[in-house]
Amino acid sequence: MSAPAAPAAPAAAIRLSGVDQVFNEGRQDEVAALSQIDLVVGAGELVSLIGPSGCGKSTLLRVVADLVEPTRGTVQVNGKSPRQARLDQDYGMAFQQAALFEWRSVAGNIELPLELRGVGRGDRRARALELLRLVRLEDFADHRPWQLSGGMQQRVAIARALALQPKLLLMDEPFGALDEMTREHMQAELVRICAETATTVVFVTHSIPEAVFLSERVVVMSARPGRIAAVVDVPLGARDEDTREDPAFFTCITQVREVLRGRAGAGAVAGAPGPAPGADVR
Amino acid sequence: MAVVATLGGRPSRPSARLGRRVLRKVVVLVVAVALLGLLWTGYKSLGRATGDVWPATSIGLPVKTDDTTLPAFTDIVTRPFEPQRAGDDTLLWRTILDAAVFTLKEAVVGFGIGIVLGIGIALVMVSSGWFERGLLPWVIVSQTIPLIALAPIVVAWGHQLEVPGVTWSPWMSVSVIATYLTFFPVAVSGLRGLQSPTRHALDLMATCGATWRQELVKLRFPSALPYLLPALKVAATASVVGAIVGEISAGVAGGLGRLILSYSQQYLSDPARLYCSVIGAGLLGTAFVGMVGAAELLLLRHRPPEAR
Ligand SMILES: Nc1ncnc2c1ncn2[C@@H]1O[C@H](COP(=O)(O)OP(=O)(O)OP(=O)(O)O)[C@@H](O)[C@H]1O
Ligand SMILES: [Mg+2]
Repeated sequence: MSAPAAPAAPAAAIRLSGVDQVFNEGRQDEVAALSQIDLVVGAGELVSLIGPSGCGKSTLLRVVADLVEPTRGTVQVNGKSPRQARLDQDYGMAFQQAALFEWRSVAGNIELPLELRGVGRGDRRARALELLRLVRLEDFADHRPWQLSGGMQQRVAIARALALQPKLLLMDEPFGALDEMTREHMQAELVRICAETATTVVFVTHSIPEAVFLSERVVVMSARPGRIAAVVDVPLGARDEDTREDPAFFTCITQVREVLRGRAGAGAVAGAPGPAPGADVR
Repeated sequence: MAVVATLGGRPSRPSARLGRRVLRKVVVLVVAVALLGLLWTGYKSLGRATGDVWPATSIGLPVKTDDTTLPAFTDIVTRPFEPQRAGDDTLLWRTILDAAVFTLKEAVVGFGIGIVLGIGIALVMVSSGWFERGLLPWVIVSQTIPLIALAPIVVAWGHQLEVPGVTWSPWMSVSVIATYLTFFPVAVSGLRGLQSPTRHALDLMATCGATWRQELVKLRFPSALPYLLPALKVAATASVVGAIVGEISAGVAGGLGRLILSYSQQYLSDPARLYCSVIGAGLLGTAFVGMVGAAELLLLRHRPPEAR
């Protein structure tokens, strides 16, 4: 598992092969959450996961994050075992719920990963304020999390995930609770951060436009057992606000929607990272 | 009664709010005491007038109103400022206060050790499901042993105990009894509190590569506080009651337990004195709980209102 990165594609940030996740195996309440997942995410790539509720998106992230051990299959993160990557704080994670600590101030919550890493007080504070500006909450540094709205809490959680400037971000529906304008702002920021710092992102979402706007590839999953139904390429080039009005943007949205509806085939190539044949975007 | 016992307030300006709260409690207390005095005196004069029956009936009053059974309220109020007993010039309030301080010392020592022990047991239990299943039943069983049975055993053991650097004195046995009553609510609520973090919070700590110790210090302990502090109020009461009962059953002199015992033996000659010592015991418990309540207010001042 902790073997050096395979020579064929040394730049892979995440490499999953033949991953099955079965909860409560052999018991009556057995759930096959993931089945035969093969996925490679290249370094610096932004990949979205989309699929019906309960299809195993969160579970897939948790496998990568070493929060559950896969029942079968192998996982590599940055060429290491997921456990090593976790202990090295190689990735930042934003959960489906904000999971802020109510006894810490907003800034204190963002400082937590830095504190655990042993960063000094002054540096921690400076970094927290910088991140608060990024998520547009600079006026709330000394508030308590429970004094913020759900969307604001979610932004604090995102800032916390970014605190250590990780090379890999695992995000589980982080923008779900945001209004449309803030959401678009956060999407643009995420794309910018990714481009500037070559961060790899695995992004779980329920929104097709969001998936298409953000990512170079959209991984579409199907439920019960959760498997990868198709991987849709999104050849839209560098993203900016005009992308949202680009006809090609809408073509891609349609394409993902078709796959999600089960009318697969059109432009979707299961598991293949290469250019999709039908993705003739114009 | 509970002057400062139920202090629990909003954050913003703690000192100002605390001041207002204390003031309100004091006013409530004064009014309550005045009402009680009125009721007491009214009941007594009613009984005196009718010969201890309800007016116009022959149904007896539940409590007789002669000066032995029910001393005058004013006697109870003035009694503390008279000498403790004939031949001893110490005023009664002074005697009761000294005894209360002695008992408080026993209770506080027992309380402190009980907290450490209780949290220690909670930590062992939270570290593994095996320990929890193995230990929790014994913790619960321990509380079914009656205090009266425990006290002589503790005293007997105390005499043989050899802690280096400590000469065993009888009051320490009483502290052991207070410990015994304290550790239980602390252990049980501590376990619940240490187990209270959500999966997301635990996952977050894991993704930050936190060690077990960091997880304890940065997540589990802060999460446990809202569970622990109310339990500490219960434990504070229990430790005072335990100390008083422990003094009586272990035969330790100097504290409120012995004082109440001897005043009750001399009840017929001086009834108001017993009432005063019992009120003293009540005030001691209330004061102790109040201090714990103040600590709670301080420690939880940043929590969401529903957690306080
Ligand atoms: N700890 C667990 N124990 C048992 N079953 C689990 C556990 N975690 C997840 N599951 C099951 O695995 C399946 C996938 O869950 P998961 O949370 O990954 O779905 P999801 O795709 O993230 O859904 P959503 O979009 O609603 O968040 C579900 O059927 C769920 O019941
Ligand atoms: Mg999910």
